[in-house]
Amino acid sequence: MSGHRIAAITRRLLQGFRRDRRTLALLFVAPIVILGLLGYLIRGSASAPAVGIANEDQGPLGPIVASALGDSTMIKASAIQAADGDSRLKDGSLVAYIFFPADFSARAQQGTIAPEVHLEGSQPGTAGPVLQALQQALATIAAQRTGSSLKVEPKVIYLYGGPSLDRLDYFGAAFIGLIVFFLVFVITTVAFLNERSQGTLERLMASPLRRGEIVVGYMLGFTVLALIQAAEVLAFCLAVLKVHNQGNVLLIFGVEALMAITAVNLGIFLSMFARTEFQAVQFIPLVIVPQFILSGILFPISTEPKPLQLVSDVLPLTYAVSGLRDIMIKGADLTWTSLQIDAGVVAGFCVVLIVAGIATLRRRIA
Amino acid sequence: MSESFAVDVQNVSKSFGTVKALDGVTMRIRQGEIYGLLGPNGAGKTTLIRMIVGIVEAHAGTVTVLSQRMPNVAVLRHVGYMTQAAALYPGLSVEENVRFFAAINGAEKGVKEALELVELYERRGSVVSTLSGGMRQRCSLACALVHKPELLLLDEPTVGVDPQLRVQFWESFRRMAEAGTTIIVSSHVMDEAERCQRLGLIQYGRLLAEGSPNEIRAMAGTQNLEEAFLTLAGQKAS
Repeated sequence: MSGHRIAAITRRLLQGFRRDRRTLALLFVAPIVILGLLGYLIRGSASAPAVGIANEDQGPLGPIVASALGDSTMIKASAIQAADGDSRLKDGSLVAYIFFPADFSARAQQGTIAPEVHLEGSQPGTAGPVLQALQQALATIAAQRTGSSLKVEPKVIYLYGGPSLDRLDYFGAAFIGLIVFFLVFVITTVAFLNERSQGTLERLMASPLRRGEIVVGYMLGFTVLALIQAAEVLAFCLAVLKVHNQGNVLLIFGVEALMAITAVNLGIFLSMFARTEFQAVQFIPLVIVPQFILSGILFPISTEPKPLQLVSDVLPLTYAVSGLRDIMIKGADLTWTSLQIDAGVVAGFCVVLIVAGIATLRRRIA
Repeated sequence: MSESFAVDVQNVSKSFGTVKALDGVTMRIRQGEIYGLLGPNGAGKTTLIRMIVGIVEAHAGTVTVLSQRMPNVAVLRHVGYMTQAAALYPGLSVEENVRFFAAINGAEKGVKEALELVELYERRGSVVSTLSGGMRQRCSLACALVHKPELLLLDEPTVGVDPQLRVQFWESFRRMAEAGTTIIVSSHVMDEAERCQRLGLIQYGRLLAEGSPNEIRAMAGTQNLEEAFLTLAGQKAS
């Protein structure tokens, strides 16, 4: 071992990085951005889940609990009509509503507190704060009625899914989209970059090929691979992992395929901004990680701080995840407006990226 | 234009940042001519060739190829371009590479002939990543001429090619030129320059001198091209 020779290698390495500003920036800026994003997302002015309160109690207790819920910081409570509850869950303006039936006070007199909790159920992590807020609100009655024993028996009703759904069922739908998006993106980016670094792109540009033909040809080639992968991922999730699915398998595949084609085109487009494979791999923390955090996979978008919601709204993965969850957990079909919008937006991203790729190709060749 | 020129470069300039790659170059290349671009590294030879195929756009001046103003995609069907480094798909076989470039030019029929010309027909099944540098260069040439272009641009085509094969390369260039193909070849090997009908000496992005090898020697008053080139380059620099 020669310290001198080892030092030569170390020095050579650091010298190289000194000229690669982008890699340096990534190394030191990306962690701050990602952690900052997560911090803001979790601690920031994270808006509490919107919960409706439907009080039909004839007695005195319902209003007391309702007002206690109104004061709770864990949820954003608003008074609603019980009849509107389910439709408010469906249109997404509420994640849950709590219903106090007419005999709520009467049954409480007999020792049983039985509010109904209706959960939308397609997104993970929303049930917790709602049940917790209810628990605290009920504690106020319990404090007033000391002595006799009170049984708290909230009746939890799921609009979609149900208590039998585990975490994988919630995340499975989203992960199908994420995995296909991630892998297809990485492979396309590196392959298209190779075309340039090995000089063949220059040859293609000096041939009668038009730019659009190059981009669309690439898209079709990778789409073949991406679709096979999408089918495999889907089959594994449904047949082996037994992820809960309410909807049409072909429809899931359709959304997955749209997602894959978007990833192909995003890969082609972004590869034009990288000179080396090394730089291409750097797009992963810049492109994939924020989408993973902000596309509603982990945290429902409605509970994100407002500025982050704006970001979420322009990420293709957000719409794919929402579409896949609609199909797999809610059993959506093509007559659902929400699914039409999701699929339409993802398809729109595809078209925009194809055009952007074609437009960028020429300028980036030299 | 009374005479038909395959390539007509008029007063072309191009800068990359502050570096002037080409500075007012004018040259006309006749049909069926073998024209040699000579000059040291970084003189602007490759930039000129890339401009003729329309990959690089000029800041000033015009480039006309086969009577079409460049850049023009349609005219590229009749142009073959061999890049400096053998630009091939390393994961494909020799034949698959040539077949691909034939297909994008709509000339699948020429594959066998092109492979025979560069003597790779026997090795057509070999994957490019397993080939030697010289073989890659030959495969690259086959890709450039598979569609029988009217204009063939060769950027240092014989780098890494052994002397025997180099002679064969030039023999086939000569035959193609006789059949009417215009060939522009860049080089800094002087014995190759001897085989060109006309030469253009390029330095610092300018055309220093132009003429047949004999004319160039006469201009410089020297016995061989190498000295002629050094003399002419020295005169202008001082």
